[in-house]
Amino acid sequence: MRNYVRFTIMLILLAGLIVPMSGMAAQEERVLVVGHAESTDSLDPARAFTPTSSMIHQAVYDTLVTFPPDSVDRIVPELAESWEVSDDGLTYTFYLRQDVVFSTGNPMTADDVVFSFMRAKNITGNPSFLAETIESVEAIDDYTVAIHLSEPDPALLAKLIFGVFSVMDADEVIAHGGVDNEDAAEEDAAEDWLNQNSVGTGPYILESWDPQVETVLVRNPNYWGDPPYFDRIIIRNIPEAATQKISLEAGEIDIALDITADQVPALEENEAIEVFQGTSPAIIFLLCNQDEEIGGPMSNPLVQLAIRYAIDYDGILELAGGAAVQPASVIPVGFFGAFDTDQAFDRDLDRARELLAEAGYPDGFEVDLQYPEFTVRGIDLSTLAQKVQADLAEVGITVNLAPGEILTELENYRNGREGFGLWWWEPDYQDPVDYVEFLPGRTVGLRVNWTDENADPEILELRDRALVEMDDEARLEIFADIQEYLQQNGPWAPLVQPGVQFAYQAGLQGVVFNTQWIIDFALLSY
Amino acid sequence: MPLYVYILRRLALMIPLLIGITLVSFLIANAIPGDPVAANLGQRAMSDPEIVEAFRREWGLDKPVVIQYITYLNNLLHGNLGRSIKSRRPVMDDLKSFLPATFELSTFAIVIGMVLGVAFGISSAVWRNTVLDFVVRLISILGVSTPVFWLALILLFIFYSRLHWLPGPGRLDVTVMPPPTFTGLYTLDSLLAGQWGTFLNALKHLILPGFVLASYTTGLIARVTRSSMLEVLGQEYVRTARSKGLHERVVIMRHALANALIPVVTVIGLSYGNLLSGAVLTETIFAWPGIGRYAFRASVSLDFPAIMGVSLLISLIFVATNLVVDVLYHLLDPRLRTG
Repeated sequence: MRNYVRFTIMLILLAGLIVPMSGMAAQEERVLVVGHAESTDSLDPARAFTPTSSMIHQAVYDTLVTFPPDSVDRIVPELAESWEVSDDGLTYTFYLRQDVVFSTGNPMTADDVVFSFMRAKNITGNPSFLAETIESVEAIDDYTVAIHLSEPDPALLAKLIFGVFSVMDADEVIAHGGVDNEDAAEEDAAEDWLNQNSVGTGPYILESWDPQVETVLVRNPNYWGDPPYFDRIIIRNIPEAATQKISLEAGEIDIALDITADQVPALEENEAIEVFQGTSPAIIFLLCNQDEEIGGPMSNPLVQLAIRYAIDYDGILELAGGAAVQPASVIPVGFFGAFDTDQAFDRDLDRARELLAEAGYPDGFEVDLQYPEFTVRGIDLSTLAQKVQADLAEVGITVNLAPGEILTELENYRNGREGFGLWWWEPDYQDPVDYVEFLPGRTVGLRVNWTDENADPEILELRDRALVEMDDEARLEIFADIQEYLQQNGPWAPLVQPGVQFAYQAGLQGVVFNTQWIIDFALLSY
Repeated sequence: MPLYVYILRRLALMIPLLIGITLVSFLIANAIPGDPVAANLGQRAMSDPEIVEAFRREWGLDKPVVIQYITYLNNLLHGNLGRSIKSRRPVMDDLKSFLPATFELSTFAIVIGMVLGVAFGISSAVWRNTVLDFVVRLISILGVSTPVFWLALILLFIFYSRLHWLPGPGRLDVTVMPPPTFTGLYTLDSLLAGQWGTFLNALKHLILPGFVLASYTTGLIARVTRSSMLEVLGQEYVRTARSKGLHERVVIMRHALANALIPVVTVIGLSYGNLLSGAVLTETIFAWPGIGRYAFRASVSLDFPAIMGVSLLISLIFVATNLVVDVLYHLLDPRLRTG
């Protein structure tokens, strides 16, 4: 009986505590609900390699340097106040801020940077290629770090912005099984823990990740920068764009990150909703195989140029909708050194026909267009292929559509077996050096059998300089030359750079798209 | 044969069947042209031999297929389904987290489908060629032929976005915390935890996807029940029952229905098996974290361990539902009991 009385009293006391607390929470907590088609593979920075992971990492971790909120053509300080590069380009020295603590309360020092970077490199996970040129990382003193490279890497700073180089609290990661030595691929056991916890210096802390359901972030009380507006971010997995739109209209979510261009007109009519339109960094392009046995007429440089003249770029933009743009070359508009849309190619059917005649095909020819059945950022490649078919028919080229299942077609593409193909490329890091891959002898160049042997010495020389040049002025010049060259020569016909659309409740401030991390939650407020 | 011997025999037969299924799915998964490396590594990571090698080693893809299969079987015997390449978690954990969502939704849908379908079918047969019959037949045709994708979006638009009567996607509102996990079924778990609000919320979230999923099943069951009932109603023993002066309700519910239900039970069993193996479209539109979407994601990324896990699970579901159907047959049809 006495136990019963005591229990009842405790219950009443507890209820008295809980009720006002929940009331307070409801009054004060500012919650942002995000609708997003989750792509997370992991939340361990050393292993994650998906857009959603990058978005979460931007909120919970910091990197040595970063981009401004809305662009990727300039690098600004974050955890490093300043840095210098040795004359041979092989050593980068970073001077760290001294006022930064982790969400755990521990101060952030050079040792944490060394551990995080070496772990990222040695785990040899999906994003570890970004650490390819890093030979070693050294703590010079508590707040000075040196990165030693095996070869000059003009894209190093841009790569360091990627989530894989998130600076983590080394002690905490080690306490949960983290390893940074050469056997990290086998020995590291911190992934499961890092999927549910974060140990960074970012404005938010990872509270939970329920795969395919939701990811919850809460404000980091120890954040070194300006505190963000929202206390809690709930990122709900809503895979279907139509459902995101409906949830936004119903007022259940504050922002929908994956709406498609064709939904924009209807959303813009709704006064309670605002739409942000930006440009994605994806480039959708046509490729022509340089090997005559595979490419046939497509390997002829005159035919390749004729194709670039024959495409109806304005029609493609209309088809893509939203804020899609026509890229001037394979380097996406918005990147450092990239040509702008006004330097892009114009359609000229007469010139295309002349070139075909000159190449020996006055009456055109027949060719298969190979592509995967896939939708790239809202653009259905099958629809795009039909448009290419119609455009090229106007200059006498008969295009047979040859779609394939994506993984099968990917094998053909990667092994250089497509004569004429339609593909796309998303950047691995936000620097034009990533697009050197389209040049002879490099990853994408080899997919069309564009090799050191069959390429012009001119483009080979530009390629080699682009890979090592560190000076920004000189880089601008080299990339301008490369883009000019690719407009007149080479196996690529860039078609379109699709748009990106967010829709959100009117009044939400600070909505901007960033190619690297999609959106920065810390900038949002009502 | 006594029923329990029959059941035991059927259970014993499941073992070779399941081994066969692992073999077939393993061979198919390995025969498709496509490389899991390409499906799971980034473009640049793929051109780094060190990363590719680490990936193959991590997932056991560096060993011959025969060895991979034997390792798989061996792990399976120890209750280990391996780790999913895509989600990077043990497949068993994935199934445990995604199956309850599908199970809850399918059960809800099959109950709706069963109740409505059988009721529609009976009334349609009894009042044959009346307006009622016509309406029911129209509803069943619509149920069977309406595209799920379209129906789901229309229902969401009307009842969620416009009228605000029912909640939108997901298993719970954003503001509602999931109940403590016992079974993974939110309705049951919230009841066990005494959380009424959560229970109601979970139930409301089931209604729209449940009806969308049930639309096809309802139509199908109604049509089968109607034709089976019509056949039975024309039989002599029904006429005898009527001529004995039995009340029409008794004639239909006791004499006719019991026999008319036999084919209906088969249809219900198969439909339930189908529902349980996941409904990709419904799950996608309603952001329902179920097995259908998991299977879809696994197959497009050639995630062998996950594909195998899902295949095994779905086979088990079908074998189990078939067994239940057969047992029900035994109970419904006295002739089988002696046979």
